[in-house]
Amino acid sequence: MPELDELESRLDALVEGDFQRGLEVFRSKLKEAEASYLNSCVHCGLCASSCHYHRADATLENVPAHKLDVIAAVFKRNFTAMGRVAPGLVGARTFDREMAKAWVDAVFGRCSLCGRCSINCTIGIAMPRIFRAARAALGAMGLTPSDLQATVDNSLQHGNNMAITQEDWVETVQWIEEELQMEVDDPEAKLPLDKKGAKILFTVNPREPKFFPLSLQASAKVFWAAKEDWTLSSDPGWDLTNYGLFNCKDDEAGAITQNLVDAMERLGCKTLVIGECGHGYGAARWEGPEWLQKSYPFEIKSILELMDDYLREGRIHVDPSKNTVPVTLHDPCNLVRHGGICEAQRRVLRKSVTTFTEMTPNRAENFCCGGGGGQLSMARYKNRRIQSGGVKAGQIKDTGAKIVVAPCHNCIDQLMELNKEYKLNVQIKTVAEMVADAIVTTA
Amino acid sequence: MRLLVLASAIWTILAMAFLHHKTKGFGKRTLFSKPAGSPRKGALYAFTRGMAPWAKESVMLNLPSYVAGMAFHAGVFSAFGLMCLALLGFELPFFLLVIAQVFTLLGAIGGLSLFVKRIVKAELRGLSCPDDFVSNLLSTAFALLAFLWTLVPSMESLWLAEGALLLIYAPIGKIRHCLFFFTTRYHLGAFFGRRGTFPPEGNSHA
Amino acid sequence: MSPIAFNGTAVEQNEEGFLVDPSVWNEELAVVLAKAEEGLDQLTDDHWSVIRFIRNHFNESGNAPMVRSMCKGTGVPLKRIYELFPSGPAKGACKLAGLPKPDGCV
Ligand code: SF4
Ligand code: SF4
Repeated sequence: MPELDELESRLDALVEGDFQRGLEVFRSKLKEAEASYLNSCVHCGLCASSCHYHRADATLENVPAHKLDVIAAVFKRNFTAMGRVAPGLVGARTFDREMAKAWVDAVFGRCSLCGRCSINCTIGIAMPRIFRAARAALGAMGLTPSDLQATVDNSLQHGNNMAITQEDWVETVQWIEEELQMEVDDPEAKLPLDKKGAKILFTVNPREPKFFPLSLQASAKVFWAAKEDWTLSSDPGWDLTNYGLFNCKDDEAGAITQNLVDAMERLGCKTLVIGECGHGYGAARWEGPEWLQKSYPFEIKSILELMDDYLREGRIHVDPSKNTVPVTLHDPCNLVRHGGICEAQRRVLRKSVTTFTEMTPNRAENFCCGGGGGQLSMARYKNRRIQSGGVKAGQIKDTGAKIVVAPCHNCIDQLMELNKEYKLNVQIKTVAEMVADAIVTTA
Repeated sequence: MRLLVLASAIWTILAMAFLHHKTKGFGKRTLFSKPAGSPRKGALYAFTRGMAPWAKESVMLNLPSYVAGMAFHAGVFSAFGLMCLALLGFELPFFLLVIAQVFTLLGAIGGLSLFVKRIVKAELRGLSCPDDFVSNLLSTAFALLAFLWTLVPSMESLWLAEGALLLIYAPIGKIRHCLFFFTTRYHLGAFFGRRGTFPPEGNSHA
Repeated sequence: MSPIAFNGTAVEQNEEGFLVDPSVWNEELAVVLAKAEEGLDQLTDDHWSVIRFIRNHFNESGNAPMVRSMCKGTGVPLKRIYELFPSGPAKGACKLAGLPKPDGCV
């Protein structure tokens, strides 16, 4: 593999200064919470089975505490007294090539930053916070896997993570508008572009215009039915994704978030609405203000909350008998456990379909699909991604559902692969697609 | 012996205070995103319902270890209680003494079983460093000696000396989690509380 | 991933089954990929028009076309494209056309 060799050779080429720089960046990401986490693990091992990697392949390397430990070992060696005095006793290790390799393998190769181990840890260590600091350090040492970095670079250079040109984007929006008009038989159904002063700026995942535009059409149909005052942006503010959340280079992540802030300012919208995407929501809603070091002067919401509002307020009406195929729901980690959006999508689905079965476990206890944390973009770890996704595949099978609803395009792509790999025979849809199919117009 | 224990205790307190101070020295994170929930309520949840065995899959899947761990902690804390009373020259009423005996004995058994588990289970062994074994042994021995002391009072010096050793070692190794458990769990709860995940609304296991 | 045997030579694929070197692609290879990656025994005219369209676009511009231009350029309706390629336009059609894996959430 050229890519494999490439990261290997970057590891081999590390010099003393690189380790120093890595340590500095690592240290700069730690505040009192993280320092506490790094002092806390008691090696009880109870977190092992909370991780989908370990569920699928029960080896030591897949135990969350072990992944944490390779990081904590270096922390102890460099930043604690005991680690300096008696490294052997407390398991402290010098940050050398071998440890850098172990870091890469642990935080890029065996972790989707899903945080399921956090809530199952005996002590309560929020592990992804540490793994992110480690990814940032590795990034500073030039060790970000190149395909993950390429996705970030796309956003930085082209304003969206698939390098779609403005022309292609605008043409697709117009095309979907025509399709929508045909679908709802209303020439006034619109996908407004750059409508200044619209109440809502809606953002999407580039995967939608590029390859899967039906979900964009579904969202637009919901807005149409709700008579919403909304718009899309023609400038980079249309893309909600931010793989800076995964390469953990905060300056790059912040620059990508700035696209959204700029579009909000340019168009003067009141609410920024994030389409169905877990990491995009996490990045824009939670991390964005931290990267930019300032609060947003506008409101930010998930389209799931919006649809929940529409139904509650009676702005749209749905007929569940239009969706009779049994449905289950996947909980994207960055939207639910880390994002706090948990019940809105459930209320919406229960109103829009006849048979809804929860996976077990679900909500904040959900298992990652295996595609999170940037795993989807890192080809080198594909086999582990598919293997660890076996846990989710099993959960899906157990529900007997024929449609898996996933409010996240990243998850959807992984679920599509799991569907094929584990012969699940299910359809995979967004919440908006289910709602759009159930919409009844009272006119 | 009393002085030794007292000196060790002072060391432990000072060293723990220093560790706490050092951790605090990393600084608070100023947050700019708008909270969706309350960090305080999240922390409260993390220390109460969020710790209930049925709230944690990791506990339900490892009940024997959980029980052993609980017994271990109860045993060590009882032993500490006993030590304080012994140093103050306070005699326990009979029924409390029996309870303390049960706790310390079960604690020692729990500690020992966890020690054996750490050796026998390859994965756990791989996760362990020498500190894990030292910390366990010091604590297990402390609970065991406390139990024996209630039967053979002449063992007091040995028990107190071991106790002093445990106190001295506590901040050095992982027993420091008697401090960091609380700070870490607070931060976890505050994090998920702020994000509106804790306390959860629905039942995630149904 | 172990290389796929083709015409007595070994063609290298990345972990996800995309060609390591897109330039080795030809239509016979597409048939082999279709079987190995998408479980398609037969490629219909519709398959071919989508695959050729993607390939031509790639040769001209170095990237994958929008699904909109696939539909427009081939006359194959959107829903039909999803039926033709079980893994979708990216991991299905583009892979068979010998393109490198697109960046992003795919
Ligand atoms: S964050 Fe998720 S993937 Fe990473 S170690 Fe924890 S449970 Fe495993
Ligand atoms: S559950 Fe927590 S304390 Fe126990 S080994 Fe895992 S990370 Fe460490």
